[in-house]
Amino acid sequence: MSEVIKITDYSWKYINTKTPAVESINLTVEEGAFIGIIGPNGSGKTTLAYSMDGLIPGQYNGIKKGTVEVFGKEVEEYDRGELQKLVGVVFSDPEAQFTAMTVEDELVFGMENIGLSVPEIQERLDWVTELTDLKNLLEKPPYEISGGQKQRVALAAVLAMMPKILILDEPTSMLDPISRMRIFDVLAKLKKEKNSTIIVIEHSLENLIPLADRMVMMSDGELVLEDETQAFFQKTGFLFEKGAFPPGLIQFFYELNQRNLYNGDYPLTVAEASLKLNEMIKKGK
Amino acid sequence: MEENINYIQVTNLDYEYPDGTQALKGINLEIGKGEFIALIGQNGSGKTTLSKCLNGLYKPTRGDIIVDGLNSKKSSIVQMVRRVGYVFQNPDHQLFNSNCWDEIAYGPHNIELTEPEVVERVEEALKVVGLPKIYHKEHPFFLSKGLRQRVAIASILALRPQVIIVDEPTTGQDMKQSLEIMDFLKALNEELGHTIIIITHDMPIVAKYAKRVIAMGQARVVADGATREVFAQSEVLKETFLAPPQITQLAQSVADLGFDPGTLTVEEIINQFNSLTN
Repeated sequence: MSEVIKITDYSWKYINTKTPAVESINLTVEEGAFIGIIGPNGSGKTTLAYSMDGLIPGQYNGIKKGTVEVFGKEVEEYDRGELQKLVGVVFSDPEAQFTAMTVEDELVFGMENIGLSVPEIQERLDWVTELTDLKNLLEKPPYEISGGQKQRVALAAVLAMMPKILILDEPTSMLDPISRMRIFDVLAKLKKEKNSTIIVIEHSLENLIPLADRMVMMSDGELVLEDETQAFFQKTGFLFEKGAFPPGLIQFFYELNQRNLYNGDYPLTVAEASLKLNEMIKKGK
Repeated sequence: MEENINYIQVTNLDYEYPDGTQALKGINLEIGKGEFIALIGQNGSGKTTLSKCLNGLYKPTRGDIIVDGLNSKKSSIVQMVRRVGYVFQNPDHQLFNSNCWDEIAYGPHNIELTEPEVVERVEEALKVVGLPKIYHKEHPFFLSKGLRQRVAIASILALRPQVIIVDEPTTGQDMKQSLEIMDFLKALNEELGHTIIIITHDMPIVAKYAKRVIAMGQARVVADGATREVFAQSEVLKETFLAPPQITQLAQSVADLGFDPGTLTVEEIINQFNSLTN
């Protein structure tokens, strides 16, 4: 597997703040990896994401140290627009990315901009419309649809560009649990069928955990933990200490562990947890 | 606290948007003083429309809403908003004044209170939400989302409504911030006796704070009862595209071992584990 993103000793300080938003970051992302980034608000997650698609330093003033390489080339070395073809970002505030008067135009806008042919645009439009379940909304103005629907449009618009790397900043914050699951199903499909590299910033971990190969924890601008998902959550005590809140299942087994009632691995899914409880209760009786 | 189960009485409520979309069908509800309710359901199931009917912004197409003895069809919006306040999902859709103080004073001015009364209400609301003084004359958009939300809530509190509806109070907040906002709503409920209705997709938050759950699906109420009872009906929830919190799902999957399918929190499941193993 090859490295698609390599971040080395990277710090970024916005011009108008006293302390760096992110500091001394080292992170390597392999092609086809699915990475989850967690951490409290203000810990530097979004700054890190913007640094990977060139928005930082391109659109912001600040002081940079270290390097951020995408496909072996520093982000500053890309011509304007070239990096954005490779790296797509879905913003946490979907309205921040809308420009068109209908959902359909919104989806087509980016594809026209990168000079795709009309048949190609039509084909991709059909694909994302189906994938994100937007058929009934195509004629509507983006500002008239609900928050959850806006998030699906924002995701679809970026998917239509078929970027090799997809970065999603809290893509499901306004969605109900089932729509949330559907978005994660879409991401799972992309990973499997297109070998896309996917980086997701999320507070809601229940859907993220089963998909993520690796997890990253940010705290006060620093990358404080990075590991394979299973191993990452075995350090639950440390995560709590840094202000993360693992899902209820992990919290439950962590509490049992703290009371010397359990000392195995923390289960990540309801099915795993259910099996473990069965064993423990039956053994206890 | 004064018991008054019929503070809000909704009878056979239908609501249709001008384009013919049926957003609410046959809703019947009673809401009392001092309740803490979570209104849950898929996006587009009618939660926000129902809220806007409750505060008189929308008038029923059919059926009636009686709040504190007033029929919303025959009452002015001023009479209604003094009883039921609605805090928008996105505080930025609600805030429009150039400083926080004016933002909060806007409602009281609008219901034609005298200047000293307005000042009293703004100060009271600022105190309740705990907005530090340095922000009082600040533009709301320079505040963090959590603080903006407090300003939005304060602007509703200044109208002193019995019922406060907060649309997605925890969206975009991390867990620590979410707990802060929810603890604040809990205090409004327990200490000041406000009826709190939250609209949310965050089931662990519902399990932790709400005493009653109203689940909506396709414009109807599909379940209404104590939080524990509603979450125990996983089949009904599935129909409305909802799922109970992970802990409840886990307890349901091991119900044959003696776990309670209505388990809501980590604390509860630990207690059950202890009594089952001892």
